Amino acid sequence: MIALSVAAVLAVFLLYTSIAGGGTPALKPSQLAGHTGRVSLAGLVVGPVTGDAHGAGLHFRLRDIGSKPGSLLVPVVYTGDLSDQFKVGRHIVVDGTLKNGTFVGVPGSLLTKCPSKYTASSSTKQ
Amino acid sequence: MPELGRAALVVSLGLVVYALVAGAAAALTRRRRLALSARNALIASFGSTLVASAVLATALVRHDFAFTYVASHTSRALPTRYALSAFWGGQEGSLLLWLLVLTGLGALAVWLNRAKARDLIVWVVPVIAGVATFFAFMLVVVASPFATQPPPADGAGLNPSLQNPYMVAHPPLLYLGYVGLTIPFSFAMGALLSGRTDERWIVATRRWTLVAWAALGLGQLLGAHWAYEEVGWGGYYAWDPVENAALMPWLAATAYLHSVMIQEKRGMLKVWNVVLVSLAFGLSLYGTFLTRSGVINSIHSFAQSPLGGWFLGFIVVVTVFSVGLIFYRLPLLKAKTKLESLVSREATFLYNNLLLVALCLTILWGVTWPILSQVVSGESRVVGRPYYDFFLRVFGLPLLLLMGIGPLVAWRRASLRSLGKTFAWPVGVSLVTGVVLIAFGAGSSTPGLIAYTFSAFVLATIALEFARGTRARRALAAEPWLVAFTSLIGRNRRRYGGYIVHAAVVLLAIGVAGSSAYQHVNEARLKPGQTLAVGSYVATYRTLQQTKNANATEVRAVLTVAHDGTSVGTVRAGKNVYTAPAGDVSNEVGIRTNYLTGEDLFVIAEQVYGDGSVDFRIFVKPLVNLIWVAGLVFLLGSLITLWPDAREERRLALRYGELEAASPASS
Amino acid sequence: MTVALVLAGLLTVLCVVGVALPYLREPQPASDFLEEPDAAGRRRLALAEERDRALAALKELEFDHRTGTISDDDYRELVGPLRRDAAEALRALDGGGVRPPSAASPGASRTSDDGERAW
Repeated sequence: MIALSVAAVLAVFLLYTSIAGGGTPALKPSQLAGHTGRVSLAGLVVGPVTGDAHGAGLHFRLRDIGSKPGSLLVPVVYTGDLSDQFKVGRHIVVDGTLKNGTFVGVPGSLLTKCPSKYTASSSTKQ
Repeated sequence: MPELGRAALVVSLGLVVYALVAGAAAALTRRRRLALSARNALIASFGSTLVASAVLATALVRHDFAFTYVASHTSRALPTRYALSAFWGGQEGSLLLWLLVLTGLGALAVWLNRAKARDLIVWVVPVIAGVATFFAFMLVVVASPFATQPPPADGAGLNPSLQNPYMVAHPPLLYLGYVGLTIPFSFAMGALLSGRTDERWIVATRRWTLVAWAALGLGQLLGAHWAYEEVGWGGYYAWDPVENAALMPWLAATAYLHSVMIQEKRGMLKVWNVVLVSLAFGLSLYGTFLTRSGVINSIHSFAQSPLGGWFLGFIVVVTVFSVGLIFYRLPLLKAKTKLESLVSREATFLYNNLLLVALCLTILWGVTWPILSQVVSGESRVVGRPYYDFFLRVFGLPLLLLMGIGPLVAWRRASLRSLGKTFAWPVGVSLVTGVVLIAFGAGSSTPGLIAYTFSAFVLATIALEFARGTRARRALAAEPWLVAFTSLIGRNRRRYGGYIVHAAVVLLAIGVAGSSAYQHVNEARLKPGQTLAVGSYVATYRTLQQTKNANATEVRAVLTVAHDGTSVGTVRAGKNVYTAPAGDVSNEVGIRTNYLTGEDLFVIAEQVYGDGSVDFRIFVKPLVNLIWVAGLVFLLGSLITLWPDAREERRLALRYGELEAASPASS
Repeated sequence: MTVALVLAGLLTVLCVVGVALPYLREPQPASDFLEEPDAAGRRRLALAEERDRALAALKELEFDHRTGTISDDDYRELVGPLRRDAAEALRALDGGGVRPPSAASPGASRTSDDGERAW
């Protein structure tokens, strides 16, 4: 009886994750090319940072976390809430879609990771 | 002094390796003095780890920047209490804390049991030592807290948002929980290794498990409170992998706590219990791995760290060991009693187990999905909040209901007739509550309404239990109501303490339902004089204030707030711009609590512009303060269940005394 | 540096002594064998746990009945088998095997008294 219920429960998640689309792809800037749908992009912020996140849009670029300077850069434009921890050199995760070579971020989805251990900051909408 | 620290850790490593090898040898060959020697080694390892910890703590307090660790996590200006809390702020220090708590709890557990259950302890010692060996090895070989460098003028400092009392208490409590689960795990494995089928391991570890479980629960609530006030996005739990890392073992431990009651009373679910305790321990290791390895994207994650591989290896070893041992001893664990009816207290505990484990596995699946999907489809995918919310409702709401049903169903089998009688009143109360709530507009959220109605049901059953118990006690002992009430609880601590803990969980459920399903939020960019309406509140932005102090400039937007037309005072929200670390900005939210209704008005000043206008986001969070009240009730209930009971102790001493007296005593 | 070395040395010596203590205390023990309960002892322990379980179940049934969770009819139905289990467990413990030095009868009556008073 227990084995049956465990199997039933597992079946429920497997179904849910496959039907509900199994979440959003989590990509690095170097993997982005060719993806047309909404994805979750994680990368390191490269300057210059121009514009206004609460206005026409904040412009910056991202490269792979752990990659060397000079690696592939993806231009990003983001409007919406921005954590105070956001800075050049920090690691961020942002949801969005690649449009005409620029990654357009979903407002409110930008999470800045803490550079050091056990520090936390985020401005995710809940 | 770093040499002393390093040497002390090497001594610790030597001692726990000895305790592991000699302990196992002593258990296999039944050598008494060798077993004592191994036990002494485990106890001594606490001493040497304490010395190492003292070296680190002293260096932190003295701002000795020759220690790389001290320089990376503190600065001269840091107050002593936060300098000390930096002990567990980084990887190496938190590993040392793990080892310290583990050897400390391990030493205490084997010492307290030194005259009882010698045949069990002889196997427990090598298991604890085995776990300690991993951490000691990591500290000596992979991640030493005692690395040195030419001392810089000042250290890097501690992130300002960590400099508050919650963040000082939160990690040690969580560690007490994570590491504390090692004790029941070790005793369970010890019992299996020794081939014992009796309950001594459960009796010996009952309070240990309760303390670890309560600490883990309270630690999470403190973390949620910190996130709510300090990180300030308007929520308290984001289903972040690191948050889930603490929730998963807690859920498994909750299932284990309930399941052992069944083994105690009916001799059933023995296999469940060893599996659950291994799962809880394994998940606390996994949780530590998640937090440190950078393998999963998380706001708490570190850069990819070499620790990850080691942890994963150790988790595999522990899993293979426990699964293998359980399979090997499966014949011993077969129960003599069977489930007689699907409508019985045993059955409700079984459903409870299933739901808790299901929820736990759901979270595990969600956390591990990015890695799994990478392996399966070549592309890493993440699941979002909707996944977790869905399953929290699917499994959590029935769990809530079971909390009310379980205590009132008879053992072995319950007749539907008696069920009808017992539940008539609580069901009635909850239905009436439901109708009243709909009249007040709670119908806007179906899951919220269900949560409220179920909560009313459970609270009614708990109140009923207390009332009926007190009345019966009065009938028996002719005491006045208050005396009857307290002596009822005093004589039945586990039962009524448990009810109080259930009440705490219900309060938590109400608080969570209210502040998520029924919250209001609004945002706008305001110039001084403009207003923003949220729910039944109207906030007017008045002015911007700037104050300079020792380490930061505090920028605050001042708003006056009116609720239902009446003024209720001012709220300040803004930012702190720090001088060290230079340029760091922290979010300072303004919270106005209505103590009567438990509601919070939560104001975030997202962006301050040069012209004095401010982007505000304002939440109205109903009943959110019940969550923190629930923490206090939880603490009270846990203390009551933990409280020593002289009568119970006597009975157990009698039971095991007969055993000891009969077999030739060892010294 | 030297202070650190001295302290480290001291620590090591203390720990080694602690580990060697059982051998230092008893260089020539009568028996170095780690005693454990024999089969009879284990059986008695299992029976003692059975007895306590049966008595606790009876006590809880009483409690549930007094507080009204269990109706009179259900109580009458359930109490019989529980009393039989308890009697059997007590009989098995008293009757079979070697009696422990502390005579089992006072022990048994103590626990059943306990059952009444413990309310």
